[in-house]
Amino acid sequence: MKEVKLFHGPNHPGMHGNFSVHLTVDGDTVKKAKPNPGMLHRGFEKLMERRLWMSNIALIPRVCVPEPDINETVYSMAVEKIEELEVPERAKYLRVIILELARIAVHMMSIGGIGGPTGVYTAPNWALNERDMILDIFEKITGHRIYHMYIVPGGVRQDINEEILEFIENTINDIESRLKDYYEIIFESPIIHKRLKGTAPLTKEQALDWGVTGPGLRSTGVKYDVRKKFPYLVYDKLDFDIPIAEESDAYTRLYLKYLEVKQSIKIIRQVLSDIPKGKVRNKLMGTALKWKIKEGEAYGKVESSRGEFGYYIVSTGGRYPYRIQVRGASYPQGLYGIEAGLPGTRLEDVSIWLDTMGVCSPEVDR
Amino acid sequence: MEQKKVIEKISNEYGIKKIKFKKIENQQFKVKINKKEIINFLTYLKNIGFWQLSLITAVDWIDNNQFEIVYNLVSWELEQHIIVKTFIPRENPRITSIINIWPVAKYYEWDVNEYFGVVFDGNPNNGKELFLENWDDKPPMRKDFDPLNYSKEKFPEKEYKNFRMKRKREVIE
Amino acid sequence: MDKPKSNFFAPFKGIKYMIQKPVTIRVPEEEREAQKRYRGFHTNDWEECIGCGTCADICPTDAINMEKVPDYDAPEGEKDERPVIDYGRCCFCGFCVDICTTGSLKMSKDYIYMDEDADTFLYIPDEEGLNKNYPKEGYERNEDTDLLDLERIAMRYTKSKKRKDSFLEYVKGFSKEEAKREAARCVECGICTDRCPAHMDIPEYINTIWDDNLEEGVEWMYETNPLPNICGRVCTHKCEDVCTISHRGEPIAIRWLKRYIVDNAPEDVYEEVVLSNVSKEGEGSIAIIGAGPAGLSAAYYLRTIGYDVDIYEKEELAGGVMRYGIPRYRLPDEAIDKDILFIEKIGVNIHRNTKVGKDIKFSKLREKHDVVFISTGFMEPRHLKIKGSDHPDVVAAMDFLPKVRDFVRDKKQMPEVAEKVVVIGGGDVAYDVGRSVARLQNIKYGKVDVTLTALEKKEDLPAGEDEIQEGKEEGLEIYPASGPVEIIIENDEIKGLKTAECIALFDDKGNFNPKLNKDNTEIHEASQVFISIGQAPNYDYLPDNIKEELEFKGPQIKINEKTHQTSMDWLFAGGDIVNGPDIINGVADGHNAAKAIDDYIRSNK
Repeated sequence: MKEVKLFHGPNHPGMHGNFSVHLTVDGDTVKKAKPNPGMLHRGFEKLMERRLWMSNIALIPRVCVPEPDINETVYSMAVEKIEELEVPERAKYLRVIILELARIAVHMMSIGGIGGPTGVYTAPNWALNERDMILDIFEKITGHRIYHMYIVPGGVRQDINEEILEFIENTINDIESRLKDYYEIIFESPIIHKRLKGTAPLTKEQALDWGVTGPGLRSTGVKYDVRKKFPYLVYDKLDFDIPIAEESDAYTRLYLKYLEVKQSIKIIRQVLSDIPKGKVRNKLMGTALKWKIKEGEAYGKVESSRGEFGYYIVSTGGRYPYRIQVRGASYPQGLYGIEAGLPGTRLEDVSIWLDTMGVCSPEVDR
Repeated sequence: MEQKKVIEKISNEYGIKKIKFKKIENQQFKVKINKKEIINFLTYLKNIGFWQLSLITAVDWIDNNQFEIVYNLVSWELEQHIIVKTFIPRENPRITSIINIWPVAKYYEWDVNEYFGVVFDGNPNNGKELFLENWDDKPPMRKDFDPLNYSKEKFPEKEYKNFRMKRKREVIE
Repeated sequence: MDKPKSNFFAPFKGIKYMIQKPVTIRVPEEEREAQKRYRGFHTNDWEECIGCGTCADICPTDAINMEKVPDYDAPEGEKDERPVIDYGRCCFCGFCVDICTTGSLKMSKDYIYMDEDADTFLYIPDEEGLNKNYPKEGYERNEDTDLLDLERIAMRYTKSKKRKDSFLEYVKGFSKEEAKREAARCVECGICTDRCPAHMDIPEYINTIWDDNLEEGVEWMYETNPLPNICGRVCTHKCEDVCTISHRGEPIAIRWLKRYIVDNAPEDVYEEVVLSNVSKEGEGSIAIIGAGPAGLSAAYYLRTIGYDVDIYEKEELAGGVMRYGIPRYRLPDEAIDKDILFIEKIGVNIHRNTKVGKDIKFSKLREKHDVVFISTGFMEPRHLKIKGSDHPDVVAAMDFLPKVRDFVRDKKQMPEVAEKVVVIGGGDVAYDVGRSVARLQNIKYGKVDVTLTALEKKEDLPAGEDEIQEGKEEGLEIYPASGPVEIIIENDEIKGLKTAECIALFDDKGNFNPKLNKDNTEIHEASQVFISIGQAPNYDYLPDNIKEELEFKGPQIKINEKTHQTSMDWLFAGGDIVNGPDIINGVADGHNAAKAIDDYIRSNK
């Protein structure tokens, strides 16, 4: 049969974000796949070289839209490593709250989002509600819903009060009470079972070769989580599990996210009860216009909802970063993974593949 | 494993004595290595547990007329992150590709090739387009590329034709 | 891992939400107020805003531009610009609010705006808000979010106990670490430059401290001020009064930073910088009468253009008021010597001990030189005419201060001071006299008894705040709002000073005419009275025919402000005899005169 070239782009309802894949299809089966990023390219790394250390905080959240806080955190962590800047204990706890809330928001959107490629449209609507409730928390803490610009080198921008802590607790209780509904409507749904089980398999060897991290890697049985292996902030003081699975397909990867939401809720509960009092920010010398970071380089990384997310920062001791490289969590699966793993998949499963692997276009396309 | 022990292990097992390691933090350290050694050294590191290639990137040291190629490797067993650096001249920058060690390096190297113009010998994608379609200027992440000038040349500035600065008196009244 | 089992009925479980209340908001019927910290559209209080432009500097997206306000003449310490925000670019990070030096720029809870005209998204923030609805305040800056460093690095002083009987300099100067910390506080707005009479490039030289490049710092300073060692110690620092940081915190210690640069720049670098400035362009010869701030400054800049410059100074040492007026503990001779040394090094001739009219005739100067610049300053005391003021123990400040300096420098005879002293005056000079007297008293008697009486009220005292504070530490007592009435003399000896309460300084027309309440008097016991109520010029070196031709306004000479010429085109004047009242104004005057003289000589070729 004759091969057909297909442009699987942002106009496809199952596609998240401005990213496209050039597919060569034989019948229903993908024969060749070429990732085609670049539609979202904004030259962030170049822009960052020309902004003050502080001003960059406003720029970097845009590298990942659904989960902007990881950017602020890795940037701050790398800068703190170079400058050897202490972070107050309370600020570390506050960062954990923000990061875990963001993880819940993204995972919920991802779980609900599977309704897009499979046609279960109830779930995305519900999931957006959960995300919105978390955005309400963000608005209360940081003053904005999407781009928070809250985590800065040396701590966080503002302290939070008891009222907000209580609000967070109520919200996560509320979300937890509805998790059962998702279990029923998605994970027990015969449609989802039919479409996801056995779809887009991933072997351990593949995952390691490609450099996949996060839920993708854990679903193949490798227990690797940056929070455990390279503990940052206060994750070493918190009690939580890393859910893993043995056999990786679209269903297990999605289900792992569901289990991770439960762990995140557990983490937030601990933080809410353990959070110490004290200051939340250590500042650098002088006014923000004159801030300088010592000469040196460092790599800051966190466990994002899609895996290891990091910034490599080089400073020459001046007011501007010399070089910043963003290492998006979905870089391996989003580029090499598509080329190496997508062939063999059926056309209707391509968006399921991309969705459950966690391909986030803006972080590939910095 | 403790960083000290990892460093000791590498220094003892890997033949070159002159390698100097520098600690960045408890789980992160860096090392500078000769360009010729890079394949051997990275292969060795992969064999002792640095399984994951996190990132390949480059830094343009325009004042020294050099590019720095940076490899970030992670070991989950040793719980260490190593930054391996090597320097190559800025004119006609070439370095051997490592796609035979890590297949995923294909895209990292492609990325560096596109943004810095560094050629990776052995990588099939040198010179092809990935992110930048129809790019017509020098590689954009080089320090001598000025994005502001580029955008001024290529794109019109938004003009606010009806804008009038108001007078202070209007506010007081 | 136990995976969920497929259940045919599972999808129907969502039906239960059909009977529940929706969580969505019915827009636009229902309004949703933003949270307390919401970063919405900006508001700006135009009365508080000073147009410093710091918001535009921090803006990550270049959304803020400073635009000139038409028909607005900004007062001192304010720029005639206000921020304009492009909402096509703004990312609502709030850094502009965090760094706003006055706190005028704020963010509201307002977040909805619609218009089909894209031009309306360029917004001039004011109190009304973008929607002209006076929105509620949203995001507020607090201590944690503040991007300014408001606290000044304290200068280290010799303690008052140690310094009270010593004429050694008591301000210790910044260490490198301290200077860098202080320099890091500057936001580089340049309001100080506008205010400085000499328009020194203050943000630029402060920056050189932060960047560890003092060589460039010296270069920046000599652009506008050839007396940085002196000004770094005793400048009246008008710049600090208007410093933008002072709106919410303590102003940058600009004067001490200047001193830090000149004290710490390596000697060879210093010389290289100063000497490299000289060109050979100008041809001509200029005579300058008086080696004070204005004279030296004019000489330096004329010499850098290439002219031959001769300064005629009647005293043994150059420096004028800086050498003979200001006490040594504030301005040591070494600092003056260093500045003058470099001015001489570039080739300025200073003829010391040469009084014009006596040692050299004025007409001779006129013959020898193309241009004559006079800057003889106010070096004569102004006299007070009250009963008893002609007693020999009534001493004028400008007679006393040079003697103190001579005493300290050459260990000449100590000037006479009594055990109990009253100083009339509340300005810097009165404090100089009072604090010098206190030191001499400590040396002679081991205790201090100095009383100052000033016409002005306590809050309006003309002396600098440092002087008042440090004077107090050294044991000076000040009586504000007291006008001198009579010096009480019994048996040919001074017994004290009688003062009356001063009710008003100016009369209805605004002229200086102190009004005293004679019913409320006080007697300050003393056996010596110092008078420091201002200084006067002395023009006796000018021949009568020239004096007749000159125009005066009060004691000062009237000049053409643009050309710096007096009524004779070859005679220029500057410094206190034209403008006043302090060193930095003298320096500025000298610089301007130098430019004017250069123009004059060039146009006459």
